[in-house]
Amino acid sequence: MSTIVVKGLDENGHRISSMVFENLVRDAADKTNHLSLETFGQHNIGIRLHRADGLTIETSGPAGQRLGCMGMPGTSIICHGSASDDVGYLNIGAEITVLGDATNGVCSAMANGKVYIRGSIGARGLTMTKWNPDYQRPELWVLGSTGDSFAEFNCGGIAVVCGIDAKNPANILGYRPCVGMVGGTIYFRGQIDGSHPKTNARLDRPTDEQWQWLMEGMGKYLEKIGRTDLMATLSVRDEWQMLLTITPQERALMFSGPMPMAEFRNKHWNKAFGGGDPLRDIAPGLDRSPIEAVPTGDLRRKKPFWANRESAAPCTYYCPVHIPTVDRLRLIREGKIDEAYEMLLRYTPLPASVCGAVCPNLCMENCSRSGVDESIDVQLLGRAVANVPAPTMAAPIGKKVAIIGGGPAGMNAAWQLAQAGVEAHIFEQDKQIGGKLAQVIPWERLSKAVWDQEIKRFLDTSNIHVHLSVDMNKEKFKELQSNFDYVVVAVGTHEPRRIPFPGNERVIPALHFLKNAKSSIPDKIGKEVVIIGAGNVGCDVACEAYRLGAEKVTLVDIQKPLAFGKEKEAAEALGATFRWPVMTREVTDQGLVMDTGELIPAQTVIISIGDVPSLKFLPETVETVTVGGAAWIKTQDSHLTTNAKVLAVGDVEKPGLATNALGAGKTAAEFIIADFNGVQWKPFTQHPITQQALTITHYVPDEHIRIHTEQAQAESCLSCASCRDCHLCETICPTGAITRRELEYGHTNGYESGLDGSWEYTSDNKKCIACGFCADTCPCGIWMMRTF
Amino acid sequence: MVSARSVSVGPSSLGYTDLPWIIQHREDRCTLCGRCTAVCPKEAIYLAYRRQRMPKLDVLKKARGNEYRTFVGIRQKTNMANTCIGCSMCTMVCPNEAIMPVPNTNEHRTLFFHNQKGQPQTRGGRRNVSGPNLLDRIMFDRISMLTDPALDAGRHEFNLTTTLGRTLAPEEFLKRQREGGWIPPTREIFPFVIGSMSFGALSPNAWLGLLQGVAYCNEVLGIPVVMCTGEGGCPPWVLRSPYLKYIVLQIASGYFGWDEIIRAIPEMQCDPAAIEIKYGQGAKPGDGGLLMWFKVSKLIARLRGVPEGVDLPSPPVHQTLYSIEESVMKMIQTMSTAFGHKVPVYPKISASTSAKSVLNNLVRNPYAGGLLIDGIDGGTGAAYNISMDATGHPIASNVRECYLDLVAQGKQNEIPIFAAGGIGKNGNVTQNGMALIMLGASGVHIGKYVMQAATGCLGNEKSRCNVCNVGICPKGITSQNPKLYRRLDPDLVAERVSEVFMSISTEAKKIMAPLGRSQSLPVGMSDALGISDKDAADRLGIRYVC
Repeated sequence: MSTIVVKGLDENGHRISSMVFENLVRDAADKTNHLSLETFGQHNIGIRLHRADGLTIETSGPAGQRLGCMGMPGTSIICHGSASDDVGYLNIGAEITVLGDATNGVCSAMANGKVYIRGSIGARGLTMTKWNPDYQRPELWVLGSTGDSFAEFNCGGIAVVCGIDAKNPANILGYRPCVGMVGGTIYFRGQIDGSHPKTNARLDRPTDEQWQWLMEGMGKYLEKIGRTDLMATLSVRDEWQMLLTITPQERALMFSGPMPMAEFRNKHWNKAFGGGDPLRDIAPGLDRSPIEAVPTGDLRRKKPFWANRESAAPCTYYCPVHIPTVDRLRLIREGKIDEAYEMLLRYTPLPASVCGAVCPNLCMENCSRSGVDESIDVQLLGRAVANVPAPTMAAPIGKKVAIIGGGPAGMNAAWQLAQAGVEAHIFEQDKQIGGKLAQVIPWERLSKAVWDQEIKRFLDTSNIHVHLSVDMNKEKFKELQSNFDYVVVAVGTHEPRRIPFPGNERVIPALHFLKNAKSSIPDKIGKEVVIIGAGNVGCDVACEAYRLGAEKVTLVDIQKPLAFGKEKEAAEALGATFRWPVMTREVTDQGLVMDTGELIPAQTVIISIGDVPSLKFLPETVETVTVGGAAWIKTQDSHLTTNAKVLAVGDVEKPGLATNALGAGKTAAEFIIADFNGVQWKPFTQHPITQQALTITHYVPDEHIRIHTEQAQAESCLSCASCRDCHLCETICPTGAITRRELEYGHTNGYESGLDGSWEYTSDNKKCIACGFCADTCPCGIWMMRTF
Repeated sequence: MVSARSVSVGPSSLGYTDLPWIIQHREDRCTLCGRCTAVCPKEAIYLAYRRQRMPKLDVLKKARGNEYRTFVGIRQKTNMANTCIGCSMCTMVCPNEAIMPVPNTNEHRTLFFHNQKGQPQTRGGRRNVSGPNLLDRIMFDRISMLTDPALDAGRHEFNLTTTLGRTLAPEEFLKRQREGGWIPPTREIFPFVIGSMSFGALSPNAWLGLLQGVAYCNEVLGIPVVMCTGEGGCPPWVLRSPYLKYIVLQIASGYFGWDEIIRAIPEMQCDPAAIEIKYGQGAKPGDGGLLMWFKVSKLIARLRGVPEGVDLPSPPVHQTLYSIEESVMKMIQTMSTAFGHKVPVYPKISASTSAKSVLNNLVRNPYAGGLLIDGIDGGTGAAYNISMDATGHPIASNVRECYLDLVAQGKQNEIPIFAAGGIGKNGNVTQNGMALIMLGASGVHIGKYVMQAATGCLGNEKSRCNVCNVGICPKGITSQNPKLYRRLDPDLVAERVSEVFMSISTEAKKIMAPLGRSQSLPVGMSDALGISDKDAADRLGIRYVC
């Protein structure tokens, strides 16, 4: 077939319009497969032209826009000269050769085919290319350089930019190539400015396979553009680089900044501060390196402490004598009944009389077991010791203490001193010791047999010397001061309070009434009795009044009666009634006349509003404090008075329970003993363990606690604040941090009480994460989470 | 002597359903690993042992009795000091998806008990009002398609900077140039500024992580982001570093850390970006900083020039300044002079009906480089709840009013107004910021948003977390305890900062491109704004659209 020439100018030399020219070209292409077009700026040359046997179009003259637009496979277009914008626009297979430069938009949206440029191209080359995998990739070969915004949104196109006679040799790919590039590859040879977005494209070197592809294609390309002379120049592999597409999958794994932050920190950040942490001057050694959220070791905010026996069990704490019932019960659990008894006896000479009878048992009132079912029966434990012999007393150490008053306070002071080998001399006004316990507590509430037994045990003890019927006075006191190392005042309150209303001489003081009631010559009383003052002593008075023949006993008070517990229950059981508020106007032979005028009939009126100390024997060095119209001895926590060699214990300080008196006696003795031993006296400072610290849900309500045996009580004890060696912490610890170890004998962990075995649990800081499970689990409240 | 048996039910006693967050624990999934209780910032949860009674009630048999079963689970405490704050750290560390706090859909009762010991509630966060705010509802409704040059946010290059500092009127500028007069300093900065959060309110890792991100934005990404120090001073090494130019130094009524700043002046490698004088804050107008002792660590004490472990309440006002005139005369001039009149100085005030008065005073002051107005939705590390929730003025109309006031005087191009307070409250940071810019702000400050987006703050406007003030931040953002703040990796914070600003930058372009703007920020371009709320449209002077 011959070549058909189509001219872009008509016979008159006028430009043929693009529309007419296209028809002429189309007609020509129907007739032959080789066209020669003498264009004059006509657009869209080669658009949709296709012949099954292929078609070659050569153009000369000024090219219009979109040369090779929508070019078909098999069509080949050769432009003899430079081309205008958008060469190869939407090309789907034509081979387009431009033997000069091309302006903007080369290969825009091209999907297949090849574009060979002998010179350079303008801006926005190779944008929006496509690649359908059923066909070949589109290719763009440029001998020189590209303009700006090259390969934007490139999706499949391969470009080869050779850098020969580049328009700007310093930057052969123009400013910001590859924006939004999602596919394709750019081979280039020469310098670029690095302005490509680092999240779209990355620099690399061709692989062997890519290099082979490049060199094969290069031969064909150079042949097409007639520059085979450059083959050697363009075959230096080291001069070639590539811009490769970063896939979305790769991008998802990248930190989106163009420089890894660690690199920025090392290369820029640290250098800005003279090469180190910017806080190193004001916080030397500060470690700010990242840690995990659940750390071990020193990075924990808290850590567990095995605070065994740091707090007091409620029984121990609330008992004024601080008898460690919790330890006593453990001894019983360990089968050491004798040791348990002895331990109790070392705290008090009157366990059966006080703990077992008259004491309101503050220990039981606060017992943690009552959160499970009911409290431990401490009375039972006290009574069990009635017949147990006294513990051995230490050999005399050559010290002597005088104790004035043989009530519970004085007795326990003597008892403690005697145990320590101090010669304790009790000087008692009465014919018997025991104070008000002996004189006024009705035998109904304190068994005479038990009392006698305990008094006998006391009196039989070595180091204790009792002097009865001693009247104390200033001279005698002075004598005691010079003959003894210390004097302990424990005279109690034996002066009844009275109120000077008319007829007060008719009124019997409770103290006298109760003392007489316990003697062989009790007071005679009427059928109707009124008791002024409805406290617990008033209740004792009521009981004794009934015993002595009263038929109707009324307790009156100006305020809500303070009576509670056993005394109140006993009085009410006998029929006593309470009335309040009652203000007494006078007492007549008819009874008590209230300020309202009402008469409460009574043949006997007893006043029970307390007793006060009688302190005439005291030297002036012992100061007193006046409260409620009476003088009381001023003491410190150690019961030391203002005289450094005189102590005061019991009701002379302030009225209290028998057990308060016992506690005071013990404390005072400890102070004296510490002084004799030349050591600093230490008060009891433990805090009670809180209910929340214990985990009582490990225990279930137990019917056996109702079996009142010592063993049953011991089994029921929750062992508050004292490790019971149950291993629960070791078991619950999720990181296996807790271990138990046996301690050598003699290691004190509170086993001064004679308890068996010594152990401790420890938590390994390297394993512990401070979850607090040990503290949440410990039944005894030993593990504590604390900051450190 | 309280009986062990007694359980007291007092006025402040609460049950699980009274709490704002209810812990859902799945015993069937729990492996009892202890991580949840270990991580909980409030010690709100613990391992609980429960005992169940199972009576044997066989009517025909004589053998009766009770059996008991003990079981364990993670339970929450119901006292006010240990109530769950919903931070979800437990959920994050749980290996078995066994635990999570669930918001109580009932009206919770703790609202009535945030006054224990007579102390009203203080907290961090911002106004507890959730849901879309006014800024979220503004639309950019003037779209240039074929009517203006089509801009492509992805391909075209945009100039997104704004001017911080005083711009002279052209004739005045030329006159001074000719005569060699003083030209007030200006800075071209990214219009989204990291707002003032002090070194102290923030942990060292959070604060330095932010600065590292800011440095990265400037030096690697080319986004000229600046951040404000807040009133806690600035570490001496930072003051002497080249990064100082990215920092706005704040001076506030507490004057913390200014000794170190002054000490560093002779050795500064560059000038700071600006000086911000804080007179007020949107989150707590009428209140100053409330840094309490548990956040005044050795480091913070050292930096602030105070003893360790003391409370550091800043007074609500500068103690020696009694009027606008005096403030302007004394402080702005002093601060300007301190840096050789080469650094813009501007005040920060709470949004208020009096903002215009302040602005007009600044207009007359030659040293004033701008005005920052902080609205009621601004965040804070510590404030009284009452201040946060009920005190202040929303930012939009306040900024708009001030801007229109400048327009009326023909001064709108001379003194920039910056806006703050709730920008990005619902995550729409660019939209909110650009809306304010188009209402007349030259730029916006974002603090709480940055905390949330860049440092991972868990707080929200439904009372979640918000314990910034007590130093127990579970993410380590606002804690001064290294055991907490070391949870925060400054590199990751910096990465997030750069991601945030890259994204804002792109979004800003996405807003500007359809408006046909690429070379200058559309400050005051309110003709492109619409809102489907007639009242708001009228108040703001923008188009009502529906």
